[in-house]
Amino acid sequence: MIENSFNRRGFLKVLGWGGATVALSGCGNTSVEDGKEFVTSYVQTADYIIPSIGTYFNSTCAQCDAGCGIMGRVREGRVLKLEGNPKSSINNGKMCGLGQAGVQAHYNPDRIREPLLRNGDKGEAITWEKALGLINEKVGGVKAENIAFLTGGVSGHVKALLKNYLDALGSGHHYVYEAVAPSIMRAANKKAYGIEMPRLRLDKAKVIVSFGADFLGAWISPVHFSQQYARFRKADNGERGVLVQVESKMTLTGANADRWLAIRPGTEGILALGLINALAAAGLSVPGDVAAVVKEYTTDRVSKDTGVSTEHIGRLAALLKERSPSLVIAGSAAEGYAHGSQNATAIALLNQVLGNVGKTVEAPSSVPFPQMAPATGNRLALQSLNDNVAQDKVKVLFTYGVNPVFTAPASMKLKENLKKVPFKVVFAHYMDETALEADLVLPLNSALEDWATAMPEYVAEGAQLNIQQPLMEKLYPGTLGMGDILLALLKQRRPDEYKGYEDFYSYLRSAMVSNKGALGGLATDDDTFWDATLSHGVVKLAGTPVNMSGSPSAKGLVVPGPFAEDSAYPFHLIPAVSASLRDGRNANEPWLQESPDPLTTIVWDSWVEMHPKTAAKLGIVEGDIVEVASRSGAIKAQAYVFTGIHPDVISVPLGNGHEALGRYAKGIGVNAFKILDSVFDKETGELAMHETRVKVSKAGQRVVIVKDEGPAGGNQMGRKIAVRMSSNKVNLSGEV
Amino acid sequence: MSMLSRRQSNCLLGELLTMYCFLRFSILLVGLIVSAGSYAVSAAQPLTTADDLGPKVEQPIEFPHDRHAGDAAKGGMQINCMYCHTYARRSIVAGIPPLQKCIGCHQNIESVRETPRIKKLFEYWEAKKAVPWKKVHDLPDFVRFNHERHIQRFVFAQNKPVQEACGYCHGDVKTMTVARRQKPLSMGWCVSCHQKDHPVDATSTKTTHGPNDCWQCHK
Repeated sequence: MIENSFNRRGFLKVLGWGGATVALSGCGNTSVEDGKEFVTSYVQTADYIIPSIGTYFNSTCAQCDAGCGIMGRVREGRVLKLEGNPKSSINNGKMCGLGQAGVQAHYNPDRIREPLLRNGDKGEAITWEKALGLINEKVGGVKAENIAFLTGGVSGHVKALLKNYLDALGSGHHYVYEAVAPSIMRAANKKAYGIEMPRLRLDKAKVIVSFGADFLGAWISPVHFSQQYARFRKADNGERGVLVQVESKMTLTGANADRWLAIRPGTEGILALGLINALAAAGLSVPGDVAAVVKEYTTDRVSKDTGVSTEHIGRLAALLKERSPSLVIAGSAAEGYAHGSQNATAIALLNQVLGNVGKTVEAPSSVPFPQMAPATGNRLALQSLNDNVAQDKVKVLFTYGVNPVFTAPASMKLKENLKKVPFKVVFAHYMDETALEADLVLPLNSALEDWATAMPEYVAEGAQLNIQQPLMEKLYPGTLGMGDILLALLKQRRPDEYKGYEDFYSYLRSAMVSNKGALGGLATDDDTFWDATLSHGVVKLAGTPVNMSGSPSAKGLVVPGPFAEDSAYPFHLIPAVSASLRDGRNANEPWLQESPDPLTTIVWDSWVEMHPKTAAKLGIVEGDIVEVASRSGAIKAQAYVFTGIHPDVISVPLGNGHEALGRYAKGIGVNAFKILDSVFDKETGELAMHETRVKVSKAGQRVVIVKDEGPAGGNQMGRKIAVRMSSNKVNLSGEV
Repeated sequence: MSMLSRRQSNCLLGELLTMYCFLRFSILLVGLIVSAGSYAVSAAQPLTTADDLGPKVEQPIEFPHDRHAGDAAKGGMQINCMYCHTYARRSIVAGIPPLQKCIGCHQNIESVRETPRIKKLFEYWEAKKAVPWKKVHDLPDFVRFNHERHIQRFVFAQNKPVQEACGYCHGDVKTMTVARRQKPLSMGWCVSCHQKDHPVDATSTKTTHGPNDCWQCHK
């Protein structure tokens, strides 16, 4: 919605004047800048640097945690465009739109350019020397146990340095927080298979049943899964895989599925157990204790609980029985409840019963350097930090790579609690909500200016160390890399150990070169090894597959029945994770705001998605401003009526609603994180993201939604351009 | 012509100023088309054109092109243009040589080492700062001129002397100190040459025109 007075028409008018001015100056040739512009001029250059001709350098994408290899086109010392690095087994030369927008994270005009120290309400620019001295003074003045680091997922040499710094301080408090990580699924996998993140072989599966895992959009490693998905759809033997997506709110993956089943929220585990029961009845061998647990999940009961028709359950069971190997995936939709662990366990059990473990659920490789292995984040970490802060146990807090003030639910009172921390240091690229609360803000190099190594959590083949190297000179002299800052801090504490390293680059080079044997460079000299490493952008490591353990067991598995009706808050809120905005850290990249949401085609805003039946019941039409209120708060946004959602569900996308983060993000849309209720998964203690109940009411206004699709939505105005048929008229198991 | 009139009517709908602009533009175009007609002669024509001096550009160092590239009889070194403007044959821009190239020769030329310009040059070198040369030949951003194509055609295929080939557009640089734009570099001026017949290569009697498609330059 466009609320201010500068509307579309006004915008076009101004554009018209602008156009006229441009045309006028074109006539007088004043756009020609003889004697004004400078020519590209170098002091020294490599032979391959030719003005106007691009040179490609390999690096690693930092837009999400998937860790795709990228190739940046650099011309006249400026990085212009990113492509995928073919040498990376994660993305094999491909790239997503989020990754493409990486240049906008780099050239963003709202980047912080020098260290800022709080002076009342303002940040005062100070030198790095003073900033690092101040940190030294502050950490020296408190007990080590009162120092805490809150970071996103970290890996590689930065993680190793961070650990060394914490050791040097004598503190072990490192909280790793990721707002939308699949942490409950990791715990369930650990229980079922003995490992947190098995390799999923979508390409080997003949049927995929995904319980809300948006693996084509925003789940774990979407570019990699999209490539596997292509092979799954067009296998070498010509057999086309069938994808069934079970979820309460349609995701991009759901939109690509052969069959999309709208399930009553929270009942995913019941359906999984019902499928095991149906498969056992059809003759699949199921261990005795599992059979005993699932036998009460008759198709009729499961259909009643989940809202999926008995016919569809029967067909799904038949499909799974007929076509093996299959793959069942538990996504964020299944794990987002207080019984999320049980849901995920039931889904893992279905995989085991189907015999997929070892076939489509494979063991990953061990990482040869455990100190560089990824530290993956969860929501429990923020919860425990928040508790410690509330009890005045944190005196100095460092924050890196996360924006908890934006992503924490309001009911957590994190922003208020943070005021109790006497000294807060935030490492940041932009003034985000968390940086605004800081006492000291340290500006970081962008991912395209910085040195680092990274080991992604999900690697497709073997183990892999990604190299992140500068694609161009720093835009602002006042920023520093995270590695450089940690090294400078370590020099304060352990000067003897680190004084030999002039900067993080020399540390990194020396660390890599001294281990070149294990990094595949045994027979080469140091320079050749290092040049090859930088040129390839990835180092493939020889990893041995870890052992997968665990046999199908239903011990301790109690999946609760469907939710009771709640007359005060009748709807379930699903905070949707979109492929572009994720947890909101990229909301200040205009390309991402401008690219339409794949399902609703809405741009530059948030919306409240609801089923036409729900909308009719509430008297809401598209564009009505509605208030979505939970027990923890309320937000107002434009309503969007859409059939790809369960009638009991209201969905609001995450990522927008920033109060800071610069000109492209501030004031756009609403923040659905804020109204999440404090309900936690019973086993892991993770915040249950889908557990919030809401009520919806009209707020009175109505706006025209800015979106790409036509005014009549997908109904083609009755012209039958693309003819379609309802899914219950198609017998997929008969067709494929 | 239909395109022209549509553009005109479009601009009538627009602001007055725009209209004025397009009218001037269309008169120019009509003029071009008329003059194009009169060029329909098949023999190879000389490529020289009238001069149209650009503004004087003040450079950080007053670089003497005459001393470097000028005739030996006039005290010049007769250095090939492409010795310094080395990118011209392989890039769309001719480029300015990196400072290391200047220093590469001048560190061995003791005789001029203490002259003001060379002292300034070494100051830049010692500070490791690139010389902020100003652009002398600029084109609007919607025009893409490719040096490589022209150098490959005239110097390497047709075997023309380098200074003559560069001089078609840049004038007689070997007689100047700091370069100054000599030719209009306008679209009409480009087209006037693209419509002439040029031999395909040094030995062939076959001739051809320069490309005439809009997208060759406006991409």
